[in-house]
Amino acid sequence: MTAAPASADADLLRLSKDDRQWVMQGKDYAHSHYSGLKQINRSNVKNLHAAWSMSTGVLQGHEGGPLIVNGIMYVHTPFPNITYAVDLDRPDKILWEHKPKQEASVRAVACCDVVNRGLAYGDGKIFKTQLDGHIVALDAKTGKEVWKMENSDPKVGSTLTAAPMVVEDLVLVGSSGAELGVRGYVTAYRMKDGKQMWRAYATGPDEDLLLADDFNLANPQYGGKGLGTSTWEGEAWKIGGGTNWGWYAYDPDLKLFYYGSGNPAPWNETMRPGDNKWTMSIWGRDVTSGKARFAFQKTPHDEWDYAGVNWIGLSEQVVDGKKQKLLTHPDRNGIVYTLNRENGNLVRADKIDPSVNVFKGYDMKQGVPIRDPEYATRMDHQAKGICPSAMGYHNQGHDSYDPKRELFMFGTNMICMDWEPFMLPYRAGQFFVGATLNMYPTPNNNGNMGQVKAYDVKTSKFKWVKDEKFAVWGGTTATAGDLVFHGTLDGYIKARDADTGEVLWQFKLPSGVIGHPVTYEHKGKQYVAIYYGVGGWPGVGLVFDLTDPTAGLGAVGAFKELQQFTKMGGGVMVFSL
Amino acid sequence: MNRNTPRRIATLIAGAVLAAAAQQAAAYDGTKCKAPGDCWEPKPGFPDKIAATKYDPKHDPKEVARQSNSIKEMEARNARRVEQAAKTGVFKYDVD
Repeated sequence: MTAAPASADADLLRLSKDDRQWVMQGKDYAHSHYSGLKQINRSNVKNLHAAWSMSTGVLQGHEGGPLIVNGIMYVHTPFPNITYAVDLDRPDKILWEHKPKQEASVRAVACCDVVNRGLAYGDGKIFKTQLDGHIVALDAKTGKEVWKMENSDPKVGSTLTAAPMVVEDLVLVGSSGAELGVRGYVTAYRMKDGKQMWRAYATGPDEDLLLADDFNLANPQYGGKGLGTSTWEGEAWKIGGGTNWGWYAYDPDLKLFYYGSGNPAPWNETMRPGDNKWTMSIWGRDVTSGKARFAFQKTPHDEWDYAGVNWIGLSEQVVDGKKQKLLTHPDRNGIVYTLNRENGNLVRADKIDPSVNVFKGYDMKQGVPIRDPEYATRMDHQAKGICPSAMGYHNQGHDSYDPKRELFMFGTNMICMDWEPFMLPYRAGQFFVGATLNMYPTPNNNGNMGQVKAYDVKTSKFKWVKDEKFAVWGGTTATAGDLVFHGTLDGYIKARDADTGEVLWQFKLPSGVIGHPVTYEHKGKQYVAIYYGVGGWPGVGLVFDLTDPTAGLGAVGAFKELQQFTKMGGGVMVFSL
Repeated sequence: MNRNTPRRIATLIAGAVLAAAAQQAAAYDGTKCKAPGDCWEPKPGFPDKIAATKYDPKHDPKEVARQSNSIKEMEARNARRVEQAAKTGVFKYDVD
């Protein structure tokens, strides 16, 4: 006799705590990217070597990481979003593959390479998003389609690049396309049959925003009801951006999930007066109803494309004299935010690097940044020397939290810019950007465009900071072996000492990395796996053969040297002792 | 000789205008809120409302409505897919 089956969520919760597995992109619901495995540690990591590898047969940017569930590795690819299942007992054989048919025209409405951030697992199913806007449930054993729903319509510029996230009996699906004026929304589908349970928008009327009755009650200064329309002129909110294509985190005790909404559209700030709520906001929503308990807008009236979708890591620490349930979030705008995740209280807003100049500081009482008008953007003006650039001092990389050290391990960017907007009309399905950019390395950093750094929220200080030649785009993974792993755009996987940041081991992969490492145990042996395959926003020059420095939304100039270090690729490499 | 030649006067005036502009430019720092969560201000030389100014985006309401229409149609098709699968026990993507 077996016991009655527990809920799918309980099963996933158990699996996420099992360090032999890696069952969601964040590793666990706190999205800690921290593994208790320590067979590979700082004293023996120098002996790490390639165990096996697999090509995906697809070029262009490989974001996210593979999943490992019950002895099977699930591998995903950029467009056309193929899924492979690989038996870890014999990784030379592909158990099944799912290769969707998608119209090639979809590629034309992807802003920043045809990337995808990964798969989700739950209820015996693999969930995947497709660039053409579908959310698909596959049988994890056979790869057969169980259901397939339309979430986003590429004909209006709406695509999907974010990984789904399974919470309770739901699968959460985000949105992409703010560069084409897409109004952002997050949707919950029932895992078993794909029924839409709720949908919440980033802009517009309160009923579309799905606000709880007690929305922002603990922090009325953040703003309450009605702002989704009143902080816009006319109906501009209908094409107002705010897509969420980053990561989520979830607190099973509070039943709240957290994510960030993206940038307002267009990039031309003059064409959308107002605070543009609730783009650029950290949300805490009840998972069952989707209703928002709090929202905190980080960048009111964005003028720099600081899409607020970045990684959110949960921790419990004694900060300001009391143990608090926290969420920490390094934003594109160069500020690391820490909020109390029960009520949304602002606990910290620290510059991720002293060179951030768009904000002079933070008004902690009102919860708003103090803007420096010198680095604002506006029509009929070319703003210069803005730090961070639109690529942010932090982008889509999935970072980690080491609970033993109480340190967040960030992979960051050091890129600044010049920016000049221009007027343009909105046509559904066409780009709606309206700004010309030049990007370049942050001055006074020896031309380096990236850093890896360990952040202590208690002291607002960085324990160590290490430079990288290129932006550290893919994020970090920390382990109980006192190590921090990460990939680099020029094609290395590196292991750093968690106490000092020193590189203890590195290996040259076939191509640059824009995803994150994962680690798992199979038959008593610890493995580290990572995708290679450069691309994404920093790789658009290399991927699409662009040479105009302002092309690729300004990224081509900044990353012109990248093609001297790496070429396109696509695959997974696995390491062990 | 009077040191305030026309050119110098022009420079002085320009300087005064620049200083005033710089002072005004400091105006929008994001901390002066009309209401909680509503702290936007127009920048010096820019209008409070852009409609009927040279910055009027002149959005076409038909274009602006296309996203919500598309979503309504997708939601209706998805609902039929779920219904059909519940009725027949077999998922079918294509809906009539």
